[in-house]
Parts: sequence; C-alpha cells; structure tokens
Amino acid sequence: MNRMKKVNSLGVAGVAGVAALVLPFIGSDYTVSFSIQLLIFLVLAYSWNWIGGYAGYTHFGQVGFFGIGAYVGSLLNFHLGVPWYFAAIIAGLAGALTAIPLGGAMLRLKGPFFAIGMFGLTRVLEAFALGFDSVTGGGTGIYLKPVSDLRPVYYVVAAVAGVMLFLTWKLDNSRLGLKLLAIREDEDAAESLGIPTTRLKIGTFVASAIAPAAMGSLYAVYLGFIDPPTAFAPNIELTTIAMVLLGGMGTVLGPLCGAVVLSVVNELLWANYPQIYLASVGVIILLAVLFMPRGIVSLGMKTGWVTVSRPLFRRLAARHGEALS
Amino acid sequence: MSDTIVAVEKVSKRFAGRIALDSVDIDVTRGSITGVIGPNGSGKSTLFNIIAGTLRPDTGRVLVDGRNITSASAAEICGLGVARTFQISRLFAEMTVLENLVAVARGRDDRAAIALAMELLEFLEIADIADRWGAELSYGQRKLVEIARALMLQPKVMLLDEPFAGVNPRLQNRIVEHLRTLCAKGITVFFIDHEMRIVLNECDLVYVLAEGRLIAHGDTATVRNDARVLQAYF
Repeated sequence: MNRMKKVNSLGVAGVAGVAALVLPFIGSDYTVSFSIQLLIFLVLAYSWNWIGGYAGYTHFGQVGFFGIGAYVGSLLNFHLGVPWYFAAIIAGLAGALTAIPLGGAMLRLKGPFFAIGMFGLTRVLEAFALGFDSVTGGGTGIYLKPVSDLRPVYYVVAAVAGVMLFLTWKLDNSRLGLKLLAIREDEDAAESLGIPTTRLKIGTFVASAIAPAAMGSLYAVYLGFIDPPTAFAPNIELTTIAMVLLGGMGTVLGPLCGAVVLSVVNELLWANYPQIYLASVGVIILLAVLFMPRGIVSLGMKTGWVTVSRPLFRRLAARHGEALS
Repeated sequence: MSDTIVAVEKVSKRFAGRIALDSVDIDVTRGSITGVIGPNGSGKSTLFNIIAGTLRPDTGRVLVDGRNITSASAAEICGLGVARTFQISRLFAEMTVLENLVAVARGRDDRAAIALAMELLEFLEIADIADRWGAELSYGQRKLVEIARALMLQPKVMLLDEPFAGVNPRLQNRIVEHLRTLCAKGITVFFIDHEMRIVLNECDLVYVLAEGRLIAHGDTATVRNDARVLQAYF
C-alpha cells in the first residue's frame, strides 16, 4: 500500500514536471505569463509557510523582502548591466543579509506585535524607496530593458518553485521541522526542553527571506518596470498569506494547493466578473477559513488521498519495530 | 565530584511585591529522589521555574554540578543535563507521541533518535501509543509521555512538576517504579507533589515550603514529625 502510494506520488510529480517543462512550447504567451505569476506566488507561499506555517510566526512583512529584491535586482540590471538571472541571485543574498539584523530585532516580538511590526517595517521600506528618488527613481520607478522571450524567466521561476517544494518536503520530514512546530505550539516549553528557539527562528526567518527577494527581482524583469507601490504592494502579501491559509499552513502541499486554486479562481473571476472580483475572492477566503480552517489538504487527509504529514518518522519507527521483532 | 548536583542558595523571588520565595536554600544530592512539598501557593513551581531557567531569581543563585546557572537560558540549563516536566501538560498537541520525543532529541542521527524514543516508550510501557496525537491522550498518558520526553534529553537531573497529580493509584505506582529504576541508573529525581503517600515513602530527602519559606527539611521521618509541617500541611 505504502509502496503504491510512493509510486503514485512519484508518478504525479513526474507528470507535473514534464508538464511544466513542455508548457512554454505548447501554451500561449498568456499561459506562460499567467504561469510565471502563479509560480512567483507559489515561491512566496512556500517561503512564508516556513516561518508562518511551521514556526508559527505569522507576519505581514514578506513583501518587504520582495521589494528589496526587486530594487536590488533592477538597480544592478539598470545601472551595471548585470544579467537578470545573476541579479536575482544577488537580490536573494541581499534579502538574507537584510533579514539577519531584522530577524534579530523583530523576533523578540511575538504574535500580533511581530505581525504588525513587520507590516510597519515594510511601509518604512516603501517610504525609503519613494524618498530616495536619486537612487530608486522615486514614484517614477525604474524601467528595465524588456525581455523579448519570457520562457527563460518561466524556467528559472519554475525551478525555484520546485526547489522550494522539495526543501519543504525535506523540512517536513526532518527533526528541524519538528523543532519549528514545537516553537509554533509552545515556544517556552520548547526552550525548556533544550530547543534553541532564538537561533532556529532567526535562521528560518533569514531562509524565508531569500526566495522572496529573488522573486522580487524576477517580477521586475517580468513586468519590465518597478516602482514602490508595485514592489511593496500589500496585495502581494495578503494574497500569499491567503494562499497558505487556503491550502493548509505548515504542510508540504498546502501552499501548492492554495496557490493553484486561488490563482485560477482569481484569474477566472477577474476575466468574467471584474466588478465583483475582489469581493468574491474575499468571500471565498472567508468561507474557506470558516469551514476548512486546516486548509484544502485537510480534506485530502480525511479522504485518504493525501498522507498525513511527516510520514518519515512513522516509517523509521515501523522499521525499528520490525528490526526488534 | 561533589555530592550535590543542584544547589539553590538564598533564592528569593517576588511577584508584584508579593513574596513567592524568600531566601530558600536547597541541596539535591546526586542520584537521590528528593521531593518538595507545600500547600498551594507555597512557591514550589516558582522554585522549579527558577532552576529550569524560565524565571530569574531577584536574589540568590542556582548551581548545577557546581556551575552557576542563575542567568543561563532554559535551553542552556537543559544542555547541562537538567530536564523537566510541567505541572499542566505541555505536550505538543499537533505532533504524535513519537514526534514529541524525537523533536527534543540531541545529535544528528534520526535513526538513533527514533531508536531511543521507542526504547523509552517501551520502558514506560506506552509504546502502543507512539502514533497517537498529543491532543488525543488521557491525562495519565500525558504525564508518562512528558517523562519520556524529558528522558530523551538523557538528563542528569529530572525536575518533575507534580507527576502524580490527577493520576490513578495504579499508574502512580507504575511511575514510582520507573523513577526508582531511573535513580538506580544514576539519574537524580527532584520532584514536587502533593501526594504525601509517595513523597513520604519514596524520597531520600524532603523539603517543605510554606508561603515561600523553607520551613523544614530532612529525611521522611524527620519531616513527618515536624510540628511546623504538621501545622502547615495537615
């Protein structure tokens, strides 16, 4: 049975991988463009899931790293002619470097104080981007040389999304993942039981800042333009959090389910009912949180389509039992 | 190596001006079973929280194996071999029993951590609930899992906060047997409880607190016949 499930999972992953590879060749420009947006949100959702879903430090500041990455990448590309893919790597590192002192300072706060504090910091960053117009172009923004073919951008974003999915699966099946969950459930008890909570929180916060910063840089390449309201858009933050909530916080497949469902629903509503699109999205999220607080994946777990998270430890324990008998 | 593994020296703590502990001195002998008793509000849990590093004393100091840990973090104290359980169960509810244990394991090897966890669950005769979620467990099962989780840290000292409270007599006897076995293995057991039958039968040394002050200490016979203890407790 387990082997069958493993084969099925590998089969689904293989089909999804092949579909992702061939999509730019069989899909329209619109499909590629939509897929890039979806994948960027997928990466953001996975990153947020590490600190918000696993460690339980929900916050409204991830878009700050997205914005920092957007500006670092755009400025490198615009002023120094650094290739966009290389600029995205440097943007990711810039996100991590910024997150180290920010994490050290902000993670002393907990609960709503941390969440709102991070939101405030993001607004400060946006104000800086607006104010330092000699560097950032201020409200006018920065116009980048348009990319004639979006397919390379698509492949890079898809590769990062695949890596994030894999890393989350590894995290979910590791003791590090359990330690983060322990912090989420009872941080003081975790500390009393020898879990180095401060080090783990800061490490996770820094790790969860890298990909959003890189995605910010790639988003600027995708748009060919960046300005403060676009780079630090609260809507990006809220959509990301809604995707994780909808899919299932602190799970491997939650961000994937949430990002796909919400992106498709968003797009359909936007195309067919532009007047009520935002209100409809809000209602859907509200209903999902009310009736499915553990997200879409919890439905899969109840029906047996998705295995309960963290199967590795169960397998190892079962093997330990077999070895003894 | 000194005989004293935990030394509490002149420790005082106030909350909003109210005395919780007043210049308390306690010595816990290596390899012993030491108990602390006292009426509700006598400062027992405050004492444990100070030893475990979740509270800082206003004055005084705490030594573990001769090392001053008064300003060390809870995780650092744990790293010195002091593991604890809680008065009200603080199992990680959204983890299985096995995961609760593996989460706190030291070292890098997953297989070794799981083997140790299963061994401890078997030792405590609760291996059959390894796959159950923390939130599903009965009160008594939680107490046993908390002991197993503390043992995952391979401690020198176990601080057990009311391990017998609300537990049926049969399970109480089982826990006592396990504690004796741990003691025989060289682990020091230091616990708080109201269960006088166990405290007065099983402890090598008993400390009695009342209103934050240490009113008596000694072997069980001494404590049983102390007039101040009889007045405060019976």
